[in-house]
Amino acid sequence: MVDCLLETMGRPKAYKDRIEIMQGTLDMLVLRTLQWGPQHGHGIGQAIRAKSEDALQIEHGSLYPALHRLERQRWLKAEWKASESNRKAKYYSLTAAGKKQLITEESKWNALVQTIARIMNPA
Amino acid sequence: MGIRFWSRERRRARERELQEELDAHFALDIDQRMQAGAEREEAEYSSRRDFGNVTRVMEVTREMAGGTILAESIIQDLRFAARTLRHSLGFTTVAILALALGIAVNTSVFTAYKAMVARPIDARDADQIVNIALLRSTGSPDVRFSYPDYQSYRTSVHAFSGLVAFRREDVTLSDAGGIVSQRRAAAGSFIGKLGLLSTGAINAEFASALAVSQSYFDVLGVKASRGRTFSSMSVSDLVASPSILISDNYWQRRFSRDPSTLGKMVRLNGFTFQVIGITPHDFIGSEVSVPDFWIPLALEPLLHADDKWLYDRENQCCRMLGRLASGVRMPRAQAEVNAVADRLRQLHDPHSDLAKAASALVWPGSPFPLPLKFYSGLKLTILLIMLAAAMLLFVACANVGSLQLARARSRHNELHTRLSLGASRGRIIRQLLTESGLLGLGAGVVALTLAWIFLRLLVMATAAALPPEYGTLVFQVTPDLSVFVYVMAVSLIAGILFGLAPALETSSSAISLAARGSTSSGGARRLQNLLVAAQVSLSLVLMIAGSMLIRSSINSLTTRPGYDAEHVISVSFQFPEAARYSADRKLAVIRELRSRLAALPGATEVTSADAPNDSAFSTPASTADESSGTSKTAPSIYYRYVQSNYFETLGIPLPLGRPFLSRAYIGNSVILSESAANELWPGENPIGHHIRLGAIDERAHKSNDIIADGPSYDVVGVAHDTRGVEFDGSDSRQIYLPLRYDQLTTHAVLVRTTSSAQSMRLIDGVISSVDPELLVTPAVLQDQLRLSAPFLTATLAAAISSSIGSLGLLLAVMGIYGTVSYIVVLRTREVGIRMAIGAQKRDVLSLILRESARPVVIGLIVGALLAIGAAHALRPVLFGISTIDGISLVGVSVIFFFVALFAAYPPSRRATRVDPAVALRYD
Repeated sequence: MVDCLLETMGRPKAYKDRIEIMQGTLDMLVLRTLQWGPQHGHGIGQAIRAKSEDALQIEHGSLYPALHRLERQRWLKAEWKASESNRKAKYYSLTAAGKKQLITEESKWNALVQTIARIMNPA
Repeated sequence: MGIRFWSRERRRARERELQEELDAHFALDIDQRMQAGAEREEAEYSSRRDFGNVTRVMEVTREMAGGTILAESIIQDLRFAARTLRHSLGFTTVAILALALGIAVNTSVFTAYKAMVARPIDARDADQIVNIALLRSTGSPDVRFSYPDYQSYRTSVHAFSGLVAFRREDVTLSDAGGIVSQRRAAAGSFIGKLGLLSTGAINAEFASALAVSQSYFDVLGVKASRGRTFSSMSVSDLVASPSILISDNYWQRRFSRDPSTLGKMVRLNGFTFQVIGITPHDFIGSEVSVPDFWIPLALEPLLHADDKWLYDRENQCCRMLGRLASGVRMPRAQAEVNAVADRLRQLHDPHSDLAKAASALVWPGSPFPLPLKFYSGLKLTILLIMLAAAMLLFVACANVGSLQLARARSRHNELHTRLSLGASRGRIIRQLLTESGLLGLGAGVVALTLAWIFLRLLVMATAAALPPEYGTLVFQVTPDLSVFVYVMAVSLIAGILFGLAPALETSSSAISLAARGSTSSGGARRLQNLLVAAQVSLSLVLMIAGSMLIRSSINSLTTRPGYDAEHVISVSFQFPEAARYSADRKLAVIRELRSRLAALPGATEVTSADAPNDSAFSTPASTADESSGTSKTAPSIYYRYVQSNYFETLGIPLPLGRPFLSRAYIGNSVILSESAANELWPGENPIGHHIRLGAIDERAHKSNDIIADGPSYDVVGVAHDTRGVEFDGSDSRQIYLPLRYDQLTTHAVLVRTTSSAQSMRLIDGVISSVDPELLVTPAVLQDQLRLSAPFLTATLAAAISSSIGSLGLLLAVMGIYGTVSYIVVLRTREVGIRMAIGAQKRDVLSLILRESARPVVIGLIVGALLAIGAAHALRPVLFGISTIDGISLVGVSVIFFFVALFAAYPPSRRATRVDPAVALRYD
């Protein structure tokens, strides 16, 4: 869903074409990213950037606070594991509650996108 | 302790983990960048750059990382605030003490006000109890009612479920085992030591009593703690077996809680009563002090040996209190009282004031016989004290404010550093708020302790102040919490406002200024000067008011009263009522007393008259000269009966005319004081003129319409003015009437002696040789002046306002010291530069002193202007001082100025010890 939205807006990588993350969507993006499996903070940032084809640059200043907030809400759990490059890193993964939350946020997001689309492009 | 340790451990672990997480992030990021072909150094640099402010990220992350974190960060704030406050211990101590003093004094003053003045009646459901008085059409209030009138109100007014009457009595106690003499008790008490009590008789024991209607205890809803009250007894029961109650306080003090006191027979005024009950400890009823005994009003005829006295409708003996019936409000009660009052006045002597139209006053029950608005002097004193307390609170707040501002500027560096390290503005404000809050909390704890101590001292002082024979004063003086919370809130808000100043000032420009160590952010500086000036001016007003009141109280003692108070002893006496002296025997006893007193070594004159400082009665007087048709009337002139040698005894000169001749005892001559003569015959010699007086019966002075329709008198002499007890000096106008021979038994004996101390020692012996039963109270007139209202009022007000004023001065000194200290710290660099380019220590010292003196001088000028206003407001309670005098104004201001300089001196000295080399590096 995210992908399709990004496709319509984001293509080139020039700095000025980067888009700001809408308020409240970072949590959803983080949860969505972790659906593919456990990842550490750096990896999550990289993944979002890659998936958005460099259109979304996640501020580390917001990413780490967001991770800790989600962990506090028990949507994420964390454990220290060795990374692929054999460094110890803190890996986050979705909890059952996190998965449920992702579904909720996704449907809310869809509803929002459709509503806005109806206004912007009246049939 | 365990929890704190545990939470600190947990926080440290979490901190470590966050640090490791970010370290891992950088390691991964650098790896990735190097894989993409960057050099290690470049990779490290760009990784850090892209990440941004690590500290800030960590701070925000910390805040996100858990529900307990907010509480934790508050604890962290508190701990940091405590550390900061401990670090600047001087500032903290001064600020806490200043605020605490302000809060404590205000809490104490308002609590004391509520406990002493705004107190309710000591009764169950006290809010139903109302006071009753009548306001006559003449404008004068009547708070007393005759017993027959009371009985009519009790049966006719249905708005009350109960109506009680009561009056205060002083009785002599005998057969109680030994004599506790009033004089000895007075000498042992605080007020007695100050000479503020009359000396009392040596051969009798006095006790205070409240005579009450039988239903008194039932209506107030109080039961005897032992025995019973009068409520079940009828008048005939009481007459058959005369009964009284004793207060628990007196039982404890006089009878050491001897259980046999209940049922004991004691003699009051020589008549035997049985103690049938003991009232609860500290039960004070309708009074301000616990009486020793409670006597049924119906037995008053026994006490006074007079059957008619109580049942005389013209005799206003008693105050009344009512309990509103359920559901009845005050206006209805007032209407009913009005209706009955209107009916009753037709029963009174048509010439008396009691027959005049009156409207009822009904207001919430209070021991004070009239609503507060009738006591203009008391109201003014209370207002002044409260104003003084409020001013002290303001001074305290201004003090803390100026200290906070001074500190704010020295903290710019710290705040700037913390901002650039990534602390958010909100967080810094929260930190400063925490600091102010902690300061306020500390001040509150100290203040509550101080208030408690102040009030304890007050209770101890008042308990020791009054000897038991005058009753026991009882105050409820737990610091009033609602007052405390209010005062505390006011000072906290003030503290917080000033505490926030540094955060609000930390705009970017202020930061850059602060970073350079600049001292002059003009607004804050002006505010600070303003606060110092305000402190100085308010404290000055308080001190000057105090000094004027002190002078007034000294004045009331030392102003020449117009007679020789030092060498005259007044011997007042009372016949023991039980002995039933005949008129002839009384006269014989007094003649014997007079001749024995005259025979005392050193006694030169003996005369019979009331002492000139005793209250006198007044009457209208008008000129009555047949020659001129017009007559001039003075509505109210004081008069007293004197013998021919009165003027010689008291040393009052007669500039015109002569004293009475001895045949004048039966004649109709009068002598006028100079001011009385001036009022009636301005600029004329009154000798030979005639004067007509109104009613001059001392017992029935109520029944005077303002017409001088009495007999006519010849003016035979003019005497120098004497000073009486009225503030306005109206009782200097006197008419002296000749004392009739049969009046000897109702007036005191005045003895002129060459040595009053020696005579005082001998008088007791004289009395016992004349008649050991006679109750005699001797006193030197000079000592009696201390009992006068002007002296007492001025002394009390002076004590309160000057102690509040000195607290104000203390606060102002602390404020000035603190402020100057900070100014010096801030100007270290400037002083260094000045000294580097050749300024001498002397120049630096005078520069700093001059600058600190400026707000002080402004404060003194404003304070002086305010003080002149205050002097105007104080006039009604000042004795013999008409306006503010330059000496005390200038004197106090100069003292203030030097105290201020003295406070500024030590920190200014510190500035001169600045080493230019060090100061210039200071940045």
